[in-house]
Amino acid sequence: MNNDLRLKIVEMIRTAGEGHIPSAFSIIDIIAHLYDHVLKVDPSKPDWDERDYFILSKGHGCAALYVVLEKHGFITQHDLNTKSKPGGILGGHPDRTKVPGAEASTGSLGHGAVTAMGLALGLRIRGKRNRVFALLGDGECNEGTIWETALVASNLKLGNLCFVVDENGSAAQVLPMTDLSRKWEAFGWEAQDINGHDGKELAAAFEDLSFNFTGKPKVIVAHTLKGKGVGFLEGHGAWHYKIPNDTEYAAIRKELGQ
Amino acid sequence: MKEMRQEFADTLKEVGTADQRLVVLVGDISHFRLVEYAKACPGRYYNVGICEPTIVNMAAGLSMAGLIPVVHTIAPFIVERSFEQIKLDFCYQKLSGNIITVGSAFDYSTLGCSHHCYGDFGMLKTLPSTQLFFPASPVELNTLFKQTYQTNHLNYFRFPKETHEIEFDAAQVIVGRGMLVRPGRDLTVVVTGPQLKNAMLAATDLSAQGLDAEVLYYPTIKPFDAKLVLDSAKKTRRVLVLEEHSQFGGLGDEVLRCTREISELKYDTIAIKAEFIRGYGSYAELCAIVGLTPQNICAKAKALR
Repeated sequence: MNNDLRLKIVEMIRTAGEGHIPSAFSIIDIIAHLYDHVLKVDPSKPDWDERDYFILSKGHGCAALYVVLEKHGFITQHDLNTKSKPGGILGGHPDRTKVPGAEASTGSLGHGAVTAMGLALGLRIRGKRNRVFALLGDGECNEGTIWETALVASNLKLGNLCFVVDENGSAAQVLPMTDLSRKWEAFGWEAQDINGHDGKELAAAFEDLSFNFTGKPKVIVAHTLKGKGVGFLEGHGAWHYKIPNDTEYAAIRKELGQ
Repeated sequence: MKEMRQEFADTLKEVGTADQRLVVLVGDISHFRLVEYAKACPGRYYNVGICEPTIVNMAAGLSMAGLIPVVHTIAPFIVERSFEQIKLDFCYQKLSGNIITVGSAFDYSTLGCSHHCYGDFGMLKTLPSTQLFFPASPVELNTLFKQTYQTNHLNYFRFPKETHEIEFDAAQVIVGRGMLVRPGRDLTVVVTGPQLKNAMLAATDLSAQGLDAEVLYYPTIKPFDAKLVLDSAKKTRRVLVLEEHSQFGGLGDEVLRCTREISELKYDTIAIKAEFIRGYGSYAELCAIVGLTPQNICAKAKALR
């Protein structure tokens, strides 16, 4: 699934000379699904007042967001080619002041999700029915502000807010948090666990969401594999921030069937 | 003179009633003062809880939704604890909003370092979209807030518990402008906050001793009114700055920056040295520890002759 986007991620990062390939591979299926099937957005009007909002809170996975934004026409192939270059609009983290379709500038973990919560409250105050989504990392869930936000969003009954947690095992390397969905439930959220690389499970999870102004906020804990799609990139090792050489690139292309 | 915290509550009610975009978030403080605001502005008041970085960050989300947030709690918990949220979520992303704090400098004079905040001007000045205000009378807080709350800035209002007890007209209070409170020939005293009271007492004493002090008052720290102090300092060539702030990064630095080319300028300051205030006492007793007394102001002024 999404092997074409995976290859595009690798090519963009090779051209840029920097980037997080495995972190992007673990979320590419989720982001592609959101933009293909869930979000109400209009690439010709990125600031459309009626749009749904998607905030990539784990900003270092931005390569996945960029290739999806390019696929949907928010940005161009030229933008991908100039990532992390002088004059380019794409950097190592999303920047709302430069990138059409990027709703928040993130990078420091534990911010984007909180912004999303404030946005959901603001839209409710204005009586607006737009939905707000944020994608968090499981390592990011070590940040205290995430759990402050979990408590506040639940207390404020922000039923128009949905978080997706990319549970790719990063936190387990350092500061494990087992059974994440039960923790969110304990904070008053409506939680479900899915396989974040399974199209049917993604479709079912987002179809099941009932957005409203008075109910529980929702969280989908998406179990994923860091580097998913290319065997030697998978897992938690040297590839976190490594750039493939020509030989490795050829091997990636082969595995992705491209 | 009305209590500053009451003026804060009254101002929010006045503005919030007229402007449906105003939303107030507090961190479990001033709750009872804001009951009238909450009644007048239903659905636009939230006592969020004790989680200041989250309050600041979620306020940026409110701004993104087209609202005008006001965040209120004790100064160090916003400025120091939540500095990254101010920097990244408001300023870098070009989102606007308002922060209004109590606990100016060492107002919580018996509570120790955790509740003191006297580096706030220096910290916030470094962020490009900030405006900084230190209104020390009710009319200043009301007027400055109304002039600037909906502009494209992150506005920081640090209001003190004590006022300087001088009545200004609203027409005298303008964002970005200092005020000539007492004309003089021999010495320029530049002051912000409630220390205007001590500055005026000292000016009277100095006058009796043959030293005619000009007193300039700065309710706005940023954008800084350089012309007012520059014109005065060119005339007197003697400048004394008084502030309830660290000697680094506050009003004194601004004065030095804009007067640096005046030849034979003599300059001194009474501010908080590069040490923590570790003692306890009343506000006035801590002022005395810092040296912010009419007597010390007179002594410093005479030494500049």
